[in-house]
Amino acid sequence: MNIVRFAARSLRREFRHGELRTLAAALVLAVAALTAVATLGQRVERAILASAAELIGGDLGVAGRRAFAPEFAAQAQRLGLRHSISAEFPSVVFAAGKSQLAQVNAADANYPLRGELRVREADGSERTVAAPAAGTVYADGLLLVSLGLKPGDTLELAGRPLRVAGEILRQPDGGQLFALAPRLIVALADAQDSGLLGLGSRARHKLMLAGDPSALARFQDWARPQLKDGAQLVTVAEAQQNLRSAFERGESFLRLAALLSALLAGIAVALAAQRYARRKTDEVALLRALGLGKQRVLASLSLTVLLLGLPACLLGAGLGLALQQGVLTYAGNLLPAAAPPPSLQPALAAIAVGLAVLVGFALPPLARLRDVPPMRVFQRAIALRPRRFDLLYLLPPLVAFGLIASQSSSSAIASALAGSLLGVTAATVVIGLVLIALLRRVGRRLPGALRFGLANLARRRSLSLIQATALALSFTALLLLAVVGPGLLAAWRADLPPQTPNQFLLNLQPEQRAGVEQRLLDLGARNLNVQPLAVAKLVAINGAAPRVEDYADRRAAGWINGETRLSWSDTLPASNTVQAGSWFDGKASEPQVSIERVWVDMLHLKLGDTLSFTIGERAITARVSSIREADWTSFRVNFFVLLDPASAAGLPHSLIASYWLPAERSADLRAVSREFPNLSMIDINAVLDRVRDIIDRVSSAVMAVLGFSLIAGLLVLVAALNVSAEERRFETAMLRTLGARRGQLLATVLGEFALLGLIAGLIAAIGAAAAGLSLGHAVFRINWTPPLLPFAAGVLAAVALVTVAGWLGTRGIARTSPLLVLRKE
Amino acid sequence: MSPSAEVALSARDVSKAVSGPDGRLQILDGVSLVVPAGESLAIVGASGSGKTTLLGLLAGLDNPDSGEIVLAGQALNRLDEEARAALRRRRVGFVFQSFHLLPALTAEENVMLPLELEDGGDAQTAAREALAAVGLAQRLHHYPSQLSGGEQQRVAIARAFVHGPGLLFADEPTGNLDARTGHTVSDLLFELNQARGTTLILVTHDMNLARRCRHVVRLDGGRRVEDAA
Ligand SMILES: Nc1ncnc2c1ncn2[C@@H]1O[C@H](COP(=O)(O)OP(=O)(O)OP(=O)(O)O)[C@@H](O)[C@H]1O
Ligand SMILES: [Mg+2]
Repeated sequence: MNIVRFAARSLRREFRHGELRTLAAALVLAVAALTAVATLGQRVERAILASAAELIGGDLGVAGRRAFAPEFAAQAQRLGLRHSISAEFPSVVFAAGKSQLAQVNAADANYPLRGELRVREADGSERTVAAPAAGTVYADGLLLVSLGLKPGDTLELAGRPLRVAGEILRQPDGGQLFALAPRLIVALADAQDSGLLGLGSRARHKLMLAGDPSALARFQDWARPQLKDGAQLVTVAEAQQNLRSAFERGESFLRLAALLSALLAGIAVALAAQRYARRKTDEVALLRALGLGKQRVLASLSLTVLLLGLPACLLGAGLGLALQQGVLTYAGNLLPAAAPPPSLQPALAAIAVGLAVLVGFALPPLARLRDVPPMRVFQRAIALRPRRFDLLYLLPPLVAFGLIASQSSSSAIASALAGSLLGVTAATVVIGLVLIALLRRVGRRLPGALRFGLANLARRRSLSLIQATALALSFTALLLLAVVGPGLLAAWRADLPPQTPNQFLLNLQPEQRAGVEQRLLDLGARNLNVQPLAVAKLVAINGAAPRVEDYADRRAAGWINGETRLSWSDTLPASNTVQAGSWFDGKASEPQVSIERVWVDMLHLKLGDTLSFTIGERAITARVSSIREADWTSFRVNFFVLLDPASAAGLPHSLIASYWLPAERSADLRAVSREFPNLSMIDINAVLDRVRDIIDRVSSAVMAVLGFSLIAGLLVLVAALNVSAEERRFETAMLRTLGARRGQLLATVLGEFALLGLIAGLIAAIGAAAAGLSLGHAVFRINWTPPLLPFAAGVLAAVALVTVAGWLGTRGIARTSPLLVLRKE
Repeated sequence: MSPSAEVALSARDVSKAVSGPDGRLQILDGVSLVVPAGESLAIVGASGSGKTTLLGLLAGLDNPDSGEIVLAGQALNRLDEEARAALRRRRVGFVFQSFHLLPALTAEENVMLPLELEDGGDAQTAAREALAAVGLAQRLHHYPSQLSGGEQQRVAIARAFVHGPGLLFADEPTGNLDARTGHTVSDLLFELNQARGTTLILVTHDMNLARRCRHVVRLDGGRRVEDAA
């Protein structure tokens, strides 16, 4: 027998049956979601990486907290390299009674070295330009809109009026995707003259270079030993690395959604295959009697499913490619450069995952058919002999965990997910078994039709368990997507206590403190908290210079090579708790330091270790006397390193202030800014708005993928209900034959399904809440309490959905004449 | 039963027991029989006497606990399940009490099935001829659910002989049919037996049908008892 032809023919004949269509649809959805997410991810990443030189605004650069000495520019000149000097800092911009935080880029006339700065001028003409002339600025559209300005108008920065010479249309060094605030480009001279770049300012100074690669290499060799105070080389490779990690964070939510849809598809495939296998049992017995060998039975069944699965996967990949193209077209302006054409590799990987899902979830039920005894053609009861354990049953969980491990971006996400799904499965089986046992005992006392419905659940024990587990898993996934995910995001960005600081003030000099504090309080500032801030360099841990290569945590390099901002205080700052040791008591004879948890883990510190810092001309060696944990979501200023106040006396420092100001008063800060032009003001409201804006844009792209997961979840529902449809058909027909009224049939069905939905919904709610708690704790580091109402609504929705779907599915049966149904058997 | 005739099927001392909820149950106990090629055998007996079990063993669908069965010259207990499957594929046809047509296939496709399993020749033409032979040339594309019981059984018979098997096993082929339809169906079976020399083994409660067979084996509680006829 030509087995391929046979399989193809049986596929053609059997596609009419629901379960094969369910199976195909599940695969299409999973592969589409995976393809879309992976292709999109890859293209966006490549677009970002390809434009890295443009993003850093040059081929190479040096960056640091201080302006670079003239030798740097001189050396570049000697090597024949073009160079540009710039500085970046956040600052509040004012105009006509409004204020807005902006990311200011102060650049000299050579800017930009790489990439293109394009603006629309007051007369509406578009032009490619260099940095603005002194007294003028270029601002991006968002800034102009929020300040109610147009090109030609005037705004105010650090007390200076500046004319808006144009609206930025396209700019190098950073697209909108990564900027937290709208951008403003000013002349370097203006920023220098206004004192915004003075000591202690938040500015990041840059010297960018462009030119011949060998000259660049020589400059790099020359500059490396000259860099001090945390100054660093800015290379294209490093920019790419930073961009990649920024991008990966955003991608993980998308991946999670795609992963869930693949898992849901797996469940749907398993259910459909299980039902397919049940329906095929008689046929296999017949084929075996007619002389088809065991292996060929399996081969032909697998081939049938594969012949269906392969085109389904291809279709899914096509759909996914189309979807990601749609998303790019819609959200493409977020990218710094045009996305490269899609490569087929992510689509092929998605197809491979789809086939793995197919094999992993469909093979076990099909493989059992090998063992159907041919004698069953005469005695149907034979197949009900006890099943032995089959190693193949391990395949679905293996594939599922393989998927979770390979597709999720962090092990915390993977273990939270795998743990909750495993827990839900185990809980459903255990609770289901207990309930079924209970039903068998008390069921007899229930009223007629309901008793019959519940008895059905108890009688079809393994089917009921399969149904309940599949439903519980899909409801868990749906709750994760619909309630937990958005809830975590919302908890993370909102729910701050009233009067949480929404304004920061940097670069405040000690002698300005009294005056500025008074002005702010007059404006209505609350919760004003002023802390000293000194810039230090970590030079030794326990007497030895720290070496980057000794620490696995990549962040350690930043602290070892760069600078540390430290502070001091005689009271433990709010939202900090001491975990080990004790807070400064002022009695110690030697300098003491309190270290935050992150530093402890990163640099492997313990109580009693010593840390040596240089701060300006001073050197301090302090002993770790306490370990703190700070609440980083509190929007207060937190420090990794706090010195005891006695040792800090006389250190060169500026002050940093945080306070709450009613949003409508923020425009009044303009007067303060005019009076104290060196202050850097940061309006967190604007930052939060910007974060929200980015999250909103990303989530609208995610919605399409979420949609796929939801459809996959519904498919599971349909597949789960179909599992028992055959039996139900026969029973309903029998009941009708015996004269049951339609109402009684309805009560039977509703009772059965409502209970099923309730069990699945409850367990899913608990599982999703548990996953949410552990995700919140391990990934988002927030305290998130599962909201009662949405979860209760979720459970009710589960009951309603299962009952209605069950009723719809059975309605047709109840209407058909019992004669027809019996005749078919 | 002339000893010189070629033997299509023989069983010697065949026993079969199963372990049920109430302990061991002896279904067949030392049954022997011989059927020469081209002849017919009826297995009769009360319900539960083991007829279907015997038929299944004779056709190689299951293994006896003891005893030997030789089908078309092959000792079944020396063949593994795959080889027995191959033997059934080539040499055996089946007719069942409840027809066992695949509901997803049309009459024609059901009849093509044994040929497709064996990959032999033009399955469609052969299937059409077989259906014509049972008088269903007009119903090629109907599904089982669109056919009456008698028609379904005729399709099943067409399926049983379409690949020209040497032996045809039938378990109560008329059991689900009314007397007249049953008669048509059994006529068909004996026509095949005669015209093609197909050896016919059938289980039946219908004594009229049993009497049309050359040989009758009566079972009682799993043992062969001598038949008066
Ligand atoms: N796999 C099995 N497990 C338990 N008991 C079995 C099994 N197969 C057959 N039996 C029992 O063996 C006995 C003979 O069964 P068999 O089907 O051969 O009877 P039969 O003569 O064909 O009856 P009928 O005329 O009703 O079809 C019956 O009592 C049956 O219950
Ligand atoms: Mg029988």
